[in-house]
Amino acid sequence: MSNKSGGPSQMRHRPVERRQGITTAQIALVIGAVVVAVALLIVLNSSRLRRAAGVVFTYPTGVTQDGSPYKGAPEAPLKLELYSDFLCGHCADFANVLEAISKDYIETGKLQVIFRNFAFLTPESVRAAEASLCALDQSPASFWQYHDLLYASRGGGIAAYTTVRLKAYAQELGLDTQAFNRCLDSRAKAAQIQADLDAGRQAGVDGTPTWFLNDQKHVGAMSEGDLRQLLDSLLSK
Amino acid sequence: MEISTKPRTVPPASPVVAWRWWLMVSLAGAGIGVAGYLSYTHLFELPVLCGDSQGCDLVAQSIYANMFGIPVAVFGLLTYIALLALLIARRHVSENLEAYVTLAVFGLSLLGVLFSAYLTYLELFVILAVCIWCVASAVIMAGLFVLSIWEMKSVNP
Repeated sequence: MSNKSGGPSQMRHRPVERRQGITTAQIALVIGAVVVAVALLIVLNSSRLRRAAGVVFTYPTGVTQDGSPYKGAPEAPLKLELYSDFLCGHCADFANVLEAISKDYIETGKLQVIFRNFAFLTPESVRAAEASLCALDQSPASFWQYHDLLYASRGGGIAAYTTVRLKAYAQELGLDTQAFNRCLDSRAKAAQIQADLDAGRQAGVDGTPTWFLNDQKHVGAMSEGDLRQLLDSLLSK
Repeated sequence: MEISTKPRTVPPASPVVAWRWWLMVSLAGAGIGVAGYLSYTHLFELPVLCGDSQGCDLVAQSIYANMFGIPVAVFGLLTYIALLALLIARRHVSENLEAYVTLAVFGLSLLGVLFSAYLTYLELFVILAVCIWCVASAVIMAGLFVLSIWEMKSVNP
C-alpha cells in the first residue's frame, strides 16, 4: 500500500536523477545561436522594409501644370492618366502592375504616368488623397514614395488610413513631419481633392481605376501581360 | 520476488513533472489556435475578429505582417507546432535524449519570445496599433519560455 502511494507521488513531484543533464556550455550555445538568428532576421527584415520605403528615382518625376504628380519623361510617346482611389483594391493591383512595367516603359522614357486623385469611396479615401498631396508638397518623389507605401499598407482597407497612420507613414519615409502634419490637420488639400473629383467626373470617370492611355479610356485594372501588349502595340504604331 | 519487482513495471519514471508538462502542452495548443487563426485569416484574406478595436486588421495587414513572402503568423504557427511535437516527443524519447529535447524546447521558445518582443515593438512604435491576438501569442510564448527554464532546472539536478 505504501509502495503504491509513494510511487506516483515521487514521479510527480520529485525529478528522478538524470543520467544526462544539460551543461551550461550547451545552454550558452543555444542562447547564442538563437540571439544571432533573431538579430539576423530583424536586420534582414528591416533592410527589406527600408528598401520598400526609400525608393530612389532615377527617372523624371514632377508635377503637371494642373498640379498632378507624374513619373516618367513628359516627352514620352505614351501618356497614361490614371484616376485612382487609395482605398480601392483594384487600384492597388493596378499600381503593382505599373510598378512591374516601370523598368521597361517608365524608366526608359516610353511612358509617362500621371496620377489624379479620384477619392470617392469613403472619408478615409479623401484623407489619404489629401495626405498624398501633402507629401507632394515636399517633392514629387515623396509623393510617389508615399503613394507606394499607402498601397503597400492598404491591406483589406480597414482603417488603413486613419490620421495617426497617415502621419506615421510620412515619418517612416523621412518626410518633414511638421509640415506634413500641419498640411494634413488643416485639411489644406480638401478643396483640391474635391476639385480633382469633379474634374474626373467631368472627364467621364465614375469608378476606379479609370485610366486614359493616349486619351483612350480604360476602366478597371489590367494584367501586366495585357498592358505590356497594349503599350507595345501603341509604340509600334 | 514477483511482488517486489512489480512496482518497477509501472510506467517509466519520467522526470517530466506532470502538471507542468500538461500546462506547456496546453499553452502550445493555445498558441497553435491563435497563430492558426491569424494564419487562416491572413491566407484567406478575412477580417480578424478583434472586439471593438480595429488594431488586428491594421497589424495583420501591414507591410510588417509578411517576412520573406511568408505571413508572420505562419512562422508562429510552425513554431508552436514544433514546440508541441517536442513536448510530446519528450515523453517518448529515450532518457538520454530527454535533455536535448528539453534544451530544444528552451531554444525554440527563446526564439519565439525574442521574435514576439520585436513584433510587439513594431506594433507599439511603428504600426501604432495593437492586435490582441498578437499580444495573446506573445504572452503564451513567454509562458512557454518561463516553463521551459523551469523544466531545464529540473532536468539538471
